[in-house]
Amino acid sequence: MKKTAIVILVLTTLFSFSLFAQGQKETPSEEQPKVITWWHYGSGLAGEATDAIVEEFNDTVGKEKNIRVQAVYQGKASDVLTKLKAIFQSGTNNGLPDLVQLDGSGVLDIRDNEYLISMEELAKEDGFDLSEILDSARLSVTYKDQMIAMPFNSSTIMLYYNKSAFDEAGISRPPRTLDELAQAAAKLKKTDAKGKVVRYGFANVPTTYELIVWLGHQNRVSYLTDKKNGHTGIPTKVLFHENGTMVNFLTKWKDLYATGSLENLTSDVNGAFASGRVAMMVGSTSNLSTIIRLVGDRFELGVANFPMVDENATGGVNVGGGAIYALDNGLDNNEQAWQFVKFATSKEQQLAWHIATGYFPVNAQTYTMKEFQTHLEANPLYGVAIRQLRESDPELQGVWIPSAYQVYYAFQTGILKMLVEDRTPLETSKSLEKEINTYLEDYVRMTQQ
Amino acid sequence: MKKLVPIAATILSLVVVFPILYAISASFFSFSDFTSIPARLFPADPTLTNYTRAFAGTHLARFLANSLITATLGTIIRMAISIGSAYVFAFYTFKGKNLLFVILIATMLLPSDALLIENYITIRTLALTDTYLGIISTSLLAPVHLFLLRQYFRMVSREYREAAIIEGCSDARFLMTLLIPISQSVIITLTLQSFTSIFNDYLWPLLVTNNVSMRTVQVGITMLGFSENLDYGPQFAAITLLMTPILIAFILLNKNIKESVSTRFTGR
Amino acid sequence: MDKTKIAKARPYILLLPALTLAFLFAYRPFFRTIVNSLYNLSIIGKRLSFVGFDNYSRLFGSGSFQDSLSNTLRFTLYFVPTNLIICLGAAMLANRKGKLASLNQIFMFLPMAVAMSSSMMLFKMMFNPSIGIMNSLLKADIQWFNDPKAAMLLLVIAGVWLDIGFDFLLLVSALRNVPTSLIEVARIEGANPWQLFISLQLPLIAPTLLFVLITSIKDAMLISAPVLLLTEGGPFRSTQTLVYQMYLEGFKSGNYALGSAIATVVFILTFAIMLLLLRFEQRRVYYQ
Repeated sequence: MKKTAIVILVLTTLFSFSLFAQGQKETPSEEQPKVITWWHYGSGLAGEATDAIVEEFNDTVGKEKNIRVQAVYQGKASDVLTKLKAIFQSGTNNGLPDLVQLDGSGVLDIRDNEYLISMEELAKEDGFDLSEILDSARLSVTYKDQMIAMPFNSSTIMLYYNKSAFDEAGISRPPRTLDELAQAAAKLKKTDAKGKVVRYGFANVPTTYELIVWLGHQNRVSYLTDKKNGHTGIPTKVLFHENGTMVNFLTKWKDLYATGSLENLTSDVNGAFASGRVAMMVGSTSNLSTIIRLVGDRFELGVANFPMVDENATGGVNVGGGAIYALDNGLDNNEQAWQFVKFATSKEQQLAWHIATGYFPVNAQTYTMKEFQTHLEANPLYGVAIRQLRESDPELQGVWIPSAYQVYYAFQTGILKMLVEDRTPLETSKSLEKEINTYLEDYVRMTQQ
Repeated sequence: MKKLVPIAATILSLVVVFPILYAISASFFSFSDFTSIPARLFPADPTLTNYTRAFAGTHLARFLANSLITATLGTIIRMAISIGSAYVFAFYTFKGKNLLFVILIATMLLPSDALLIENYITIRTLALTDTYLGIISTSLLAPVHLFLLRQYFRMVSREYREAAIIEGCSDARFLMTLLIPISQSVIITLTLQSFTSIFNDYLWPLLVTNNVSMRTVQVGITMLGFSENLDYGPQFAAITLLMTPILIAFILLNKNIKESVSTRFTGR
Repeated sequence: MDKTKIAKARPYILLLPALTLAFLFAYRPFFRTIVNSLYNLSIIGKRLSFVGFDNYSRLFGSGSFQDSLSNTLRFTLYFVPTNLIICLGAAMLANRKGKLASLNQIFMFLPMAVAMSSSMMLFKMMFNPSIGIMNSLLKADIQWFNDPKAAMLLLVIAGVWLDIGFDFLLLVSALRNVPTSLIEVARIEGANPWQLFISLQLPLIAPTLLFVLITSIKDAMLISAPVLLLTEGGPFRSTQTLVYQMYLEGFKSGNYALGSAIATVVFILTFAIMLLLLRFEQRRVYYQ
């Protein structure tokens, strides 16, 4: 009977956990507030900051207006989208959240959906002045002249560099262009006695994220695809080959690779940078807090504007990140949902959000707050990103493209092939045009009536 | 030569178990331990903060309960269906037997990922999203179990069963008193395997649960996904907490399996 | 009611739950997938127009699919023998008596206790090139997630680790079932360990071995979730497998037509290999 005893023992241990769980049940309040469900993808620092906003709303405005926001973490941005699409597919709106946070890759799937409620309309009904929202951020979610969502976790791309390595190599300022970057990278490269590289100058394999800017800021503002990077309609073809921006960029990139100081890293770039194995990288401004923590006291960290392709590329950078979308799930919660969105993007909340996460405030009024100025003075690295954004052309926008994953890998694979198989920039640009156009054609076929 | 075998076995088994031991050790790491170069095997200053962070403000306990309920429920139904069907295929003669067997076994060849969306729609139509039944629905049929159990049941000759039936023994009694004890080892192994596979399922539970209170723990554990910040602490703590009860169950039941295997098959 | 009629219906009734499940969650969705692969599907998966084999010709013309196909076959080629040799080797080594042996055995099958998602998160951390423990222990600088060859190797390692628990358990049980008296007799007759293995143990564990082989081929052909959690198909699509691409096309790009076509290719491929193996089984294992 030893066996039975063991089985019983194991089962009791396991089920004691469920009793524990029962104890966690929330007691329903007597007034039955309207519950707003918000699917989000904030994890780590952003997760904590997200919970803080929700908690504060529930304790203040929510309490007053009898609204309770329930924030549901649904995994990474792509997981949120997958889940949302599964419900869209079913053809009903039952099970949809009231609010959902999506990044740029989700726009295409939601912007024409019948259950999407335009954020601009909700704002107007409440008499909210949209000019409170930063132009570049507002335009980043504007489709057919409507602000369809509320920008929330906004960021841009910038250059991170190892200032100690720069001092050691005798470089006085961060590179401004790809040519300067190549020169600096060559100086920063270090090899050991056996000729093995112990420090690369720069690490990157450009994909959609970088190319939006490196191609986009040429000729003031250029787009990767027609329909203004998909902001005025479904893109039908890419423009980067015919307008020459890709060839121009790839030529510079090949020169950079020729210095031998570029490492083709696609993953763990933060780790390679923080460990000192790579002296420069580009990354989202929203990574700043993490990178400061990672680098610790290994070396002095510097940040600078995202390097331009050449001196003529003056467009700056685009706003990336995510936004909050309102959906009609049949529960008639729009008014309450809007109250929360308004609260989350108020100047005070955006300040707290910025300090906690490094995402820049989308509320223009935050920038004039005294606390914001004090924060920037104490943390000058954060100021670089904000200045860069303010100098950028708001017309430069991210790309809303179908098959975003495949396009991402098309760029990555195509550019690597050019480097290791020594193909010409022209060939590479052309084959990228061909491959990506196929994805765009597929999408047009799929959405035909 | 004789001494080499235990040494080789020990080295290999240590390599195999290393990730588990490392996870336990790393669950006591502080943030600086995770990012130290070269990487550490043991924490510099063991801390419990990862554990408190894993539970603080999360529904980890609730997720765990959901997983235990679905895994137990799913395993019971799955084993009942597998044993029942295997029994039919091992002892009954009926028209279309081979065809039906192939039909059931061939489901093994259908990539479940390919069926995800269609299955999701089925579950929605049946209004089973956010239910335990919805979570376990796609794992109730286990062709591998059916296949293995039939193999084992076949070791008992058909004449033997027929004789028993003629003497008034019912199918159920024959199953309970003879067949199940005789295939105890494989049933224990398959039960364990069922339980862990349902407990450990990831993609399907993620898809069919919208409500946070219905989440299973394998989905919930990704909610501690701070890996983009290289902040692995809470994740390692949760992984360690999750695997520990199962590890203990496995270690305890391991003796059980071995006992029954050796007594049944070597006659000692 | 006629008793014999009930008796005749009995097996069918007993099989009803299994058959219902097979229909509802396997055949129905699968046949829908096949039919859908011949259609142009909308972004939400509704049939727009019948296009015949158009989806397939576009599929076979795309570089992404060619990568997936070659990666999947390469993975299967590396993974299946590696997994079989390691699991069988582990079972042979651990098939002894004594305290140390049982400790070895416990260690070998413990990976089974760790969830796939947990273990892949574990691997992602351990194999992190700059701060992970593996590079530090190996005193190497292997770019596990940046070098296509290393990434494929990592996927094989992860696959073996995910499978070793169950496969080991099956093989060690099978080895235990080889009667010790037979082994004693062979030993007395002067058989060396290799002869013992080939002529005595191998034939007796052949059915289990075949089972392990079949399941590992199936696992390899269908690998997707570890790819999703560990490498996301990268770098440079070097670990993008068929089912993972299907997941991308279907779930990420909303290209259900292409996704259904890939699913069908996967089905045919898996089925063909299984059929081949079953033929082999009939010839070698049973009629030896």
